[in-house]
Amino acid sequence: MTRVKITLGSAEAFAQLDEKDAPKATKWLKEMLPIERQAMHSMENGREVYVVLDAPHHVEEENQTIYQTVGDLIVYYKPAIFVKPEWPRHIRDILVIGFIYERDSAIRSLSAPLATNLVGKITEGIDALAREAPRMRREGFGKMSISVA
Amino acid sequence: MRQLLFELGGTRAVAEMHDDVVPKTCDAVWNVLPVEGMAIHANWSSREIMLHLHGEKILRLPPEGPARRGTTAPGDIVYFWRSPQMSRGKQLAYSSEFQRELSELAIFYGDPAGGGLAADDPARSGRDSNLQVATLFATFIDIPKEFAQKCEEIRHNGLQRLVVTRLERSR
Repeated sequence: MTRVKITLGSAEAFAQLDEKDAPKATKWLKEMLPIERQAMHSMENGREVYVVLDAPHHVEEENQTIYQTVGDLIVYYKPAIFVKPEWPRHIRDILVIGFIYERDSAIRSLSAPLATNLVGKITEGIDALAREAPRMRREGFGKMSISVA
Repeated sequence: MRQLLFELGGTRAVAEMHDDVVPKTCDAVWNVLPVEGMAIHANWSSREIMLHLHGEKILRLPPEGPARRGTTAPGDIVYFWRSPQMSRGKQLAYSSEFQRELSELAIFYGDPAGGGLAADDPARSGRDSNLQVATLFATFIDIPKEFAQKCEEIRHNGLQRLVVTRLERSR
């Protein structure tokens, strides 16, 4: 199993990719890595931090769930209006990768639960992310990076 | 109608209270003004910033007015109270005073406003449980673009001081 390193500001964590149940999505993700982007906090899902990805081709639905839990590493198309203050022209959703760091969370579309590709599970460092993300909510968001460990 | 002035990062917005619909809530809010503090961005209710009421300004009000289900609109200002047991995770982004019980002004500054998201979630729909009170008590007359932009900036850049005062025009 491939292990990836996630950094958010000063916090560091590790996740195992679920190559068995999400073979296409994890293969695609590994080809994308390393990535470093501006981190954003969700404003509709509870305790989720994500980055926007630039991917020219469509990421297929795979190993999906609407019951996300703490430590899940997820890839999905987020309604664009949750990313930008206005709907961008010709775009209705934006590909993101993110993680859930605390309870009271559920990924949503505009009116209902939103299924997300579960691509991995954070196995180390979730506590560090769960401290850093709230700090960034108060003090401002920095970068998030994901790379093969 | 009584009016409220919101000042955030050098920008201003004016709201009208719904005295005719929720007079008791309007009176209670009016009586604790001015209030100020560091506003934080919502992580559930979409384009909303929150001003937590603390110390002597905490309000614990009963529900008032028509039931609201999924109809929060940009410009709405809601009195919100959440019971201590409602949230199961840690609320480390909030000061320790607000990590369980919460009393706040919820200011919806843009699309998509939060009520629509909560419409299919009974625990968040207000009147169907005793877990929270969410009373729409004022609405911005209009939302200046600069004010909305400052609200959005809180999401990315962190807390900003918000001051809410009575707007009493000379007659």
